[in-house]
Parts: sequence; structure tokens; C-alpha cells
Amino acid sequence: MTNYLEVSNLSKAFKNFELRDISFSLPKGYIMGLIGPNGSGKTTTIKLILNIMKRESGEIKIMGMDNRIDENTVKSNLGVVFDSNCYCDDWTVAQTEKSVSAFYKNWDKSRFSSLLSRFHIETKKKVKELSKGMQMKLMLACAFSYDAKLLILDEPTSGLDPVSRDELLSILSEYIEDGEHSVLFSTHITGDLERAADYITYINGGELFYSGSKDDFVNMFCIVKGGREELSAELNKKAVGIRKFSTGFEALVKTEDLKLFSHFNIEPAKIEDIVVFTNTKGESYE
Amino acid sequence: MNNIIKAAKMDLSLVRPYWWNTLFVMLFPVVFSIMNRSLVYGVSFTMCFIGMTTSYTFSISEKNGMERLYGILPVPKKHMVIGRYLYTCAVGTVALLFSLVVDSIVLYKWASVEITAEGVITSALTGIVMFTLYTVFSLPMYYKFGAIKGRYFMFIPVAGYLAILWVISNINVELDPVISGLLDNNIVFIAAVLSVCIIAFSLSVFASVRIVRNKEV
Repeated sequence: MTNYLEVSNLSKAFKNFELRDISFSLPKGYIMGLIGPNGSGKTTTIKLILNIMKRESGEIKIMGMDNRIDENTVKSNLGVVFDSNCYCDDWTVAQTEKSVSAFYKNWDKSRFSSLLSRFHIETKKKVKELSKGMQMKLMLACAFSYDAKLLILDEPTSGLDPVSRDELLSILSEYIEDGEHSVLFSTHITGDLERAADYITYINGGELFYSGSKDDFVNMFCIVKGGREELSAELNKKAVGIRKFSTGFEALVKTEDLKLFSHFNIEPAKIEDIVVFTNTKGESYE
Repeated sequence: MNNIIKAAKMDLSLVRPYWWNTLFVMLFPVVFSIMNRSLVYGVSFTMCFIGMTTSYTFSISEKNGMERLYGILPVPKKHMVIGRYLYTCAVGTVALLFSLVVDSIVLYKWASVEITAEGVITSALTGIVMFTLYTVFSLPMYYKFGAIKGRYFMFIPVAGYLAILWVISNINVELDPVISGLLDNNIVFIAAVLSVCIIAFSLSVFASVRIVRNKEV
């Protein structure tokens, strides 16, 4: 299997935060969700991949090329959608195309036009007159117009309404259909990934918690529920995270430990549960 | 070269909504020119004012978070920087030609000032020096500190310029024979001034490229 993105032992230190030894790979033709709570290191990882931030150690390969040595070739195959508009807000859509397309040899003008009509974006409108969802679609249209092989999205769904989010996920699924494109999708709205992602990379506190298939990730854990008096010392020890309520508790436990707690009410864990529970050890909601 | 021109064009498109403001900036010094009945005054002020407008591209890109866009374009950072310098020099050239033509016409028509070739060359040279002084210091500072903080460093060339004027007018120094020779030979003097400006711009580009290469978005 060809990897479009390979990150190995990536590290970067700041004054109050450190990204340590991050390694993951994204195969060609798949969508990977990059998850983690705010400040966990998702955006730093993306900035390091884009080489707009300097890594201290590690290696990043995009389509087999080093992201620093072959920077321009890599970037001509890379599409990026940020959490907010990165074009001049006084530009019209047509001016945006004129300014951006000049830098890409394989820019397909007709594809851009068809994408604009599909996304209902008027060329005469200024970027600042577009809604957040439309601005995001404009960034997508640009990336698709030079046939970016790897699409990187940095929290694109934050601030979008459910309809726009759903539309974005459909576009992404369509984008990888031919098996020639991949998507790295950073988000803390994990519900989006339940539907779209094939792989998950979970970074927590600057460290890699998990990287692999989404199904394996979700199947790794279960939610155990019970009454307050049933919360044993063993469960406390084995649980990855526990939330206590006045009436009972919910605990995230590894599936391999489940046989010890088979008498409890057991539910499958969602991605969101895993992220929340791995950040709450014994939190009380009384 | 192709990428540099594209980068310069992108900068031009950034300031497009401010073209009328820039034109106003260029017209304003015409008044100074009439008041002082001097072409040098008008051209110098135009070039100083235009030098100050070079922060527009930085302000606009900062306001829109466009460093991220520059960071993902498949262009070496060096080319983006040189493109901005090319844009700056192009604006400076247009402003210089505009002020030379407009100020000359206005002075001749409304102030009855005789316009000589020597006067035009002196004015052009003064304008180029003023523009160089303003931009070679401020552009690297804009890259380093951003459009707002970087603006404070525009006072460095002004202070330097005033200090040179003060030294020349207050201290009776014997001019070095090399400088005297330069001042006596017009062609050599013009070539020397232009060479100094080109060297200053080259050093400024070098500094800006280094700053941008080490900068993290």
C-alpha cells in the first residue's frame, strides 16, 4: 500500500508545550481524522507537515518526498483548507482564481468554473461577502482545480452548520472515490469522523495516543455503566476514564478488560467518548 | 523570474482597493511643490509618502492571515520576498515618474518655475534616495515584526537623514578628495548614488529572505 503521508518521530518544543515523537502514516485513497482536544498539537502537526513551522526532529514524507527538500513539488500536490479564509477578503472569487491559479501549472480553469457552479459560488462576489461555509468551499474548489493529491483540512467544520458539514463530508468522500487522493482531516467535532474517516490519529497533550484504523480504535474501548455503589476499586484501576454522577457512573474500559465487567451495562464507545474519557480520570458531575 | 513576477502581481492585486488612496498620496505633495516653488520638494515628499505606503501589502496580508496562503503556495519563500520588492520598486518608479511629470507641469504652469534637465535629474535622484532610505530599512522590519510594529522602524532612516543634514550644515568638514571628485563629475556621481541604492536594496532583500526563512507561521 502506497502512503501519501508518512510522519516519523516528529517533535517540536515550545515554551509551554511540546509535541513529542509523533508517527503515523496515511495510505493513498483514504481519509484520516486527526483528533484531540484543543491545544493537543493537531494544528502544530499540520503546520509542521506544511513546513510553515520548523520541526526539531523527525521526518515527514509526502507522496514519498521530503516536505523540506522537495517543498515546491510537494506543495503543488497538496491542497489545504484552513479553519478560516486565507485569501484577501477584498478579492472577488474571480480575482482569487487569477491570483492563486498563476502558481499552479496544472490549474484546470473549467474544473474551477464547474466547481463554483456546483457549490453555488458567484464569481463576482467578494470573498468577504461569502459565508464561512462558502469560503471553505472556495478553498476546496481551488485545491480540486489543480488536482491536489493530498488534501489537508485544519478544523474546517468548526463554525459550520450541520448542513454545510454534511455537504463537506460528502465532497470529501467523493474526492477519494477514485483511490488516487487522500485526506488528512483535523477536527474536534468527532461526529464528522464517525461517518467519513477510515483512519484515526489521536494526539493528546502533545503525544500520540493512537494511530490506525477507525474501526480498531472504536473497538478498542467500551463504555461500562452502573450504579454508584457498583464502582469497584478494580474498575477504578482498569478504567481509562470515569465520569461519576449522583445516580451512577460511566467508565471507558479497554475491550480486552471487558470480561471482568460483563455484569455491567455495556455500550460501544464512540470516538467522542474515547476523547472525552481519556481526558477525564475520575471527574465528578454531582 | 516567473514566480517573482507572479508574486509581485499578487501584491498588486492586494492593494487594488487602495489605488485611489495611493493616487491621493501622490497628489498631496504637489501642494508642497507649489508652496516651495521647488521640484525637489515635491518629488521628495511624494517618494517619502509612497515609501510609507509599502506597509499596505503587509497590513492586508496580516489582516487576512495570508501568511498561511503564502506558506502553501508551491513557490520558494525567496521568490515571494523578491516579488514584494519588485512590486515596491514598481510602485516607486510609477510614483517617481508621476511626480516628476505632474510637479513639473504644475510648477511651470501655475508657479512659473523654470524646469531644467538638471533640476529634473536632481529631483529624480533625491526621490530615489528618499524612497530607498524608507524602504530598505522598513521592509525587513515589516517581515520581522509585522505591519504595525514594523512601522516604528520607519523613523530610523528619517533620523539618519536628519543627522546627515545636521552634520553637513553644522560642521565645517574638509570633503574627502574621493567625495569631492564624485561631486564634480555628474555622471560618476549619479552612477555612485544609484549603485549605493542598488546595494542597499540587495542587502535589504538578503535580510528579508533570511527573516522569512526563519519565520514560523
